[in-house]
Amino acid sequence: MNAGFLFVLPVIIPVIAGLLVYFRPEYREEAKRVAFVRIMLCVTAAFVFLIDLLPEAGLHLFSLTPELPVLFQSDGMAKIFITLVAVMWLASGFFSFEYMKHEENHQRYYLFFLCSFGVLVGLGLSANYLTMYMFYELMTLLTMPLVLHSGKKEAVQAAFKYLFYSVFGALMGLLGFFFIYNYGTTITFTAGGVLDMAKVAGHENKLLAVVFLVVLGFGTKAGMFPLHAWLPTAHPVAPAPASAVLSGVITKAGILGVVRVIYYLIGPDFIRGTWVQYAWLGLALATVFMGSMMAYKEKVLKKRLAYSTVSQVSYVMFGLAVLNQAAFIGAILHVVFHSFIKDVLFLAAGAIIYKTGRTNVTELKGIGKEMPIVMWCFALASLGLVGIPPLAGFVSKWYLAVGSLESGVPFFNWFGPVILLASALLTAGYLLTIVIDAFFPGSDFPMDTLTKKEPSYYMTVPLIALTFFIVWLGLFPGGLYSMIESFAASVF
Amino acid sequence: MELVQNFPLLSIIIMTSCGAICTLLKGKAAKWYCLVCLAATLALNLFAFFYTLQNGAYVYYMGRWSAPWGNEIKVGVIEALLASAFAFVMILSVLGGLEHILEDVESTKVNLYFVMIAFLMLTLLILVYTNDIFTAYVFVEINTIASCALVMMRYKPGKTLVATTKYMIMSLLGSSLFLFAVCILYNITGHLLMEPMGQEVRRLYAEGQYLFPLTVAIAFMGVGLSIKGALFPFHTWLPDAHGSATTTSSAVLSGLVLKGYIFLLIKIYCRVIGLDVLAGDHMPDVLFLFGAAAMVIGSVRAMQQTDLKRLLAYSSISQVGYIFVGLGLGTEAGIAAAIVQILAHAVTKPMLFCAAGGFMNVSGGSRKLQDMTGAGRRDPLSGAAFLVGVFSMIGIPLFAGFTTKLTLTQAALGHGSVKCVLALIVIIVSTVLNALYYIPTVSTLFSARNDLTPYRNRYAHYHVPYVAAMVLFMIVNICVGTLAGPLLEAIYAGLPSLGM
Amino acid sequence: MSPYWILVVILLPMITGALLPILDFKEEEDRGKRQLFVAIPVILNTILVYALILHKPVGDLTLVHLTKDLSISFRMDGLSAVFAGLVAGLWPLSTCYAFEYIRHEGKENKFFAFYTMTYGVTLGIALSANVVTMYLFYELLTLVTVPLVMHAMDKRSIRAGLKYLAYSIGGAAIAFTGVMILMNSGDPSMTFYYGGSVTESAYLANPTLVQVGYLLCFFGFGVKAAIFPFHEWLPAVSVAPTPVTALLHAVAVVKAGAFAILRITFYSFGPGILLGTPAQGIAMAFAMITIVFGSVMALKEQHFKRRLAYSTVSNLSYIIFGATLMTPYGFLGALCHMLFHGIMKITLFFCAGSVLVQTGREYVHELEGLGKKMKLTFFAFTVGSLALVGLPLLCGFISKWKLGTAAASAGTTFAFVGILALLISAVLTCGYTMPIVIRAYLPREGFDESQNETAKDPGLYMTVPVLILCAAMLYFGMHSGPICDALFAVAAGLI
Repeated sequence: MNAGFLFVLPVIIPVIAGLLVYFRPEYREEAKRVAFVRIMLCVTAAFVFLIDLLPEAGLHLFSLTPELPVLFQSDGMAKIFITLVAVMWLASGFFSFEYMKHEENHQRYYLFFLCSFGVLVGLGLSANYLTMYMFYELMTLLTMPLVLHSGKKEAVQAAFKYLFYSVFGALMGLLGFFFIYNYGTTITFTAGGVLDMAKVAGHENKLLAVVFLVVLGFGTKAGMFPLHAWLPTAHPVAPAPASAVLSGVITKAGILGVVRVIYYLIGPDFIRGTWVQYAWLGLALATVFMGSMMAYKEKVLKKRLAYSTVSQVSYVMFGLAVLNQAAFIGAILHVVFHSFIKDVLFLAAGAIIYKTGRTNVTELKGIGKEMPIVMWCFALASLGLVGIPPLAGFVSKWYLAVGSLESGVPFFNWFGPVILLASALLTAGYLLTIVIDAFFPGSDFPMDTLTKKEPSYYMTVPLIALTFFIVWLGLFPGGLYSMIESFAASVF
Repeated sequence: MELVQNFPLLSIIIMTSCGAICTLLKGKAAKWYCLVCLAATLALNLFAFFYTLQNGAYVYYMGRWSAPWGNEIKVGVIEALLASAFAFVMILSVLGGLEHILEDVESTKVNLYFVMIAFLMLTLLILVYTNDIFTAYVFVEINTIASCALVMMRYKPGKTLVATTKYMIMSLLGSSLFLFAVCILYNITGHLLMEPMGQEVRRLYAEGQYLFPLTVAIAFMGVGLSIKGALFPFHTWLPDAHGSATTTSSAVLSGLVLKGYIFLLIKIYCRVIGLDVLAGDHMPDVLFLFGAAAMVIGSVRAMQQTDLKRLLAYSSISQVGYIFVGLGLGTEAGIAAAIVQILAHAVTKPMLFCAAGGFMNVSGGSRKLQDMTGAGRRDPLSGAAFLVGVFSMIGIPLFAGFTTKLTLTQAALGHGSVKCVLALIVIIVSTVLNALYYIPTVSTLFSARNDLTPYRNRYAHYHVPYVAAMVLFMIVNICVGTLAGPLLEAIYAGLPSLGM
Repeated sequence: MSPYWILVVILLPMITGALLPILDFKEEEDRGKRQLFVAIPVILNTILVYALILHKPVGDLTLVHLTKDLSISFRMDGLSAVFAGLVAGLWPLSTCYAFEYIRHEGKENKFFAFYTMTYGVTLGIALSANVVTMYLFYELLTLVTVPLVMHAMDKRSIRAGLKYLAYSIGGAAIAFTGVMILMNSGDPSMTFYYGGSVTESAYLANPTLVQVGYLLCFFGFGVKAAIFPFHEWLPAVSVAPTPVTALLHAVAVVKAGAFAILRITFYSFGPGILLGTPAQGIAMAFAMITIVFGSVMALKEQHFKRRLAYSTVSNLSYIIFGATLMTPYGFLGALCHMLFHGIMKITLFFCAGSVLVQTGREYVHELEGLGKKMKLTFFAFTVGSLALVGLPLLCGFISKWKLGTAAASAGTTFAFVGILALLISAVLTCGYTMPIVIRAYLPREGFDESQNETAKDPGLYMTVPVLILCAAMLYFGMHSGPICDALFAVAAGLI
């Protein structure tokens, strides 16, 4: 029996659960609500893991029109993405149970939190451009209320900024869709691309322009320059668990879009050596450097983390733009690692805000004594992001650099790694200073006045679990690597 | 000579005698006698129309003296068609305004009114048929007198008198210019009959002799008859005269009298001067420009009116502009379009005036639009007729106005020059303006708001003549709209005898 | 079925409407009777129209010959079926909505008289077999809808009505000039044939004239389709009662303009001679300008109904853009958008009307927090907005998809720019609809809920049509294979 029918469940269960939470009056009670959401998160995650274990399969749900079927499949890329989604949502969800106590409108929060879970799983499982575009748009619409949650003026503005940038990006994706439909043989994702070269002949320049716009479009979600401006505004104003998934996973949805379009529809060969590739590389590197610089200058913790996201996701973009196997593997590895790391960082920041109300990095002196578990996780994640072996970030950066060097792309093959290195130094500069201040506030700091403020298990357990993965994946990346390699080989 | 060939002259004689006899009759008898005569005229001219349609045009020598000594009339398809149409519209206008005639005119003078109607019909017939330019002049004058009398007949001291005087002065100015032109033409050609005169004019033009007098003659002829035809900017007399007269008078003056002069002008220009000579003098261009201006300015002025009859009068100015634009195009198709418009307007404007009369009946005799709020509901027949008229004015297919728009646009396109573009633009603008003052008028007339008028409880009492007139008007209007094909065929068949 | 049925479906509503003032039902007391008197013919007519669509009458019905060539004739072909089907589908819903809505406006007799007459006139446009017949009904459409715009009879609505009148009649007059050129350059009867009635030889004799003729028709009929710079009237008429704005100025009237352009483009002048000419370029350029311009204006507009009206301006030009691509696929896109935009926009207007009636609020910033009180209304508004933005699963995506792929397959640079215009407009669409939705559901911090206490959903007459339309949006969005096949058959000239 085809395991395809399973695909609908993790998509639809969270959506229904979210609607129930919102509309059923009984879930106004905190305890019942938490219990219900907890079960639903676990059930959905269980289905996701089940899909991971089963062999690849496909599902044709229905067709909008004959040429526009809604298709699901669980290939390697999909499995990685949905697993990532499930883990992050579990962690952030549990974290929310505690964190949301100091926010209002809980039911509404869980409605959108759960719905976006379902939609993200759907996005991961999409097997053709239509399905992906559909979930991509839905994702924007459903995550925007999370940004807006507090209803403060800045949150509203940030939410609209997020919305318009994202919709614009998605519509660039739609532009690509029109052309791929016309110049390709199918819209189903096929490793290596679907372009029909006979049809393309004579229209190469136009198609290249379209591809570039598509990359920019999906790059919007991934915070790539020049359409990155929404990200540092929108991510910090959301409640911390929402920021964590926004930064950790939803930026990766943009990456998924690029991967699907470039590697599964257009085909890397079409753009290799063209101006599109160079422009893309250039933009990615510019973003990497600029993001780090901005993060370095930023004083508000969550904003600093958001800029860091801008920078780090463009590592992935760079890896993808190099267009060879090693860099591709490095990019996908970085997707995974950065998700874990950024989730930890944001959740830790959330825990700090929740317990102490401090938002500025200068206020964090000595916090390592107040919240040791949180800050230890923060410290490990920071080291991982900088890329200190044996933590997770090192492995991905290694492959990125190797891929770049052996790619043979003029100029960028050596310039890329240089920028990555420079950015890593900056990363160290903006993250490790926090860690150092937190644990070693200086001799004149009144350490005695500090009291233990460690949050509850809802907060610490997810943090510890994620941090564990960061270390573990850094030490033993082999399993993940071979999994990525198996499908990376097919796209080249 | 066949019997039918005598019919046009016979109708002229009938109308002459009718005028004479009516002076002796009492009001009611005069009315009946006049109507019977008009009906006879209609019938005779219809026979003539169908005869010419089959056998072509013919010249009828008065007393069998041939040119250049005798007086003659020329009967072509177009002439017969217009004569029939004029007679028909005359009957309907009289029927439609009958009540008002009896109300507005002093009872002792009612028979005189019908005398004037008879003379008016007579002069129209002669203007349409005559082939002698001096006869034309004579009847232009008679026509003026008859029309002035018709305006005066509504016994209201002051305003009507002023209007009539204004009309009289303008008309006399027009006729004297016309007379000048006739004199000059006679001087340089030595003829009064149109065809010989025309040959002479062409010869002179070709030889380059007397060019200046010729130009003066053409211009005076044009200006003189334009004044009488109420072409912009000589239109100022018209709204006062038409607006203040009794219903039938307004209807007849707007629908027919203007057309008599204009048709005469067309005839002279085609038959005597010839379009090629005319084009050399740029007279068509001048007429075209003023016609175009009239189309726009007449409508703009109409928009400012609060008095329904004055509104209709200004609308006539605009509609006359259409005729002159057609004429001014100076092509066969343009002339045909002008004639179509003469017909279309003749069957539309009198209907609107009669309907306005109907509205006045249910609004305490007031002509103010505001007092007529809801009049279309209180008098549905007039309302329906008014609607048909408005549709025709806007140029909706199936109604008479559409035929004009169709032929005029086609004529303009066939011309293919700056004039074409200009003509198309004014047609468009004028259509819009027409809609802009007629539709709000309709919406006032059919408004359900009773609080705006003190006459909310007056409902129409219909008399047979009125009902008959309105129904026939509507039918004829729609016929002109739907039978455009045969109509155009007839007009094109008649154009050669007009001198094209 | 016999072609005479065509006459029946056109005349039945017109007669019903004309009878209303004569029967003169009393405003309050006879409301039930009047509603019955209107509802039965309208529903019957809709059934007849669908029967006609399913069993197409063979051949034309010629009513009267105006001249040797020109005649008033009717025909049911593919394109007629699409427009007639749309109109017939929406009219009963809209009438139902109006039953309740118009109580707040008064003068119900007059309203339903003209409203019902408009049904017949619109069908007349749809079922015309040649340009002259279409022109006749086109003019009539203006005339029967003017009283509806002026319904309130206050200064504002009268001015709007006059504006509407001037634009529409002027447009028709311009178009008429183009029609005359058409008449001279091919089949003088101007009967609609797929592929056009202009002959190659006539075109070659004077290509410029024919192109000018096309542009005159395009802009003339485009006035009703609110092409920039002739769009001004559409936002102005939003003073009319909502059922009028919704049905007439989002569907019947404006789509009549778009329909006329489709007719002129594909059935009179024909893509064969127009493709690649400057005329096509100019037409397309204006469509693109309007697409973007309408959206920008909608974004700037703060008045709820006017904002939707500007959105209509923009969306109509989607249809026209499809038409100006002059390929079967472009035609298909245009047809899809004609149908789906009709459904979407009428829903949005209905919601705006419900808000207006229930709370008296007209400006978008007054709608904050209403989503919780007027649940059904704002649910429908949300669905409609998302459809308009082009979210897959809702019908708006299908038409956008068809238009986009058609433009992509047209292959010209101009068409490429057109896609960008579509996409920019989509972003702006998001910009002018989503904030309304978001604010309605997620009011700002510190929002005072008490001002919304009295707001609630309107009655069933108004909510049921809206929900049916929502269902339709979802249905067509998720399962539009059959309808797209049918539309493609029309677009390719197969039926």
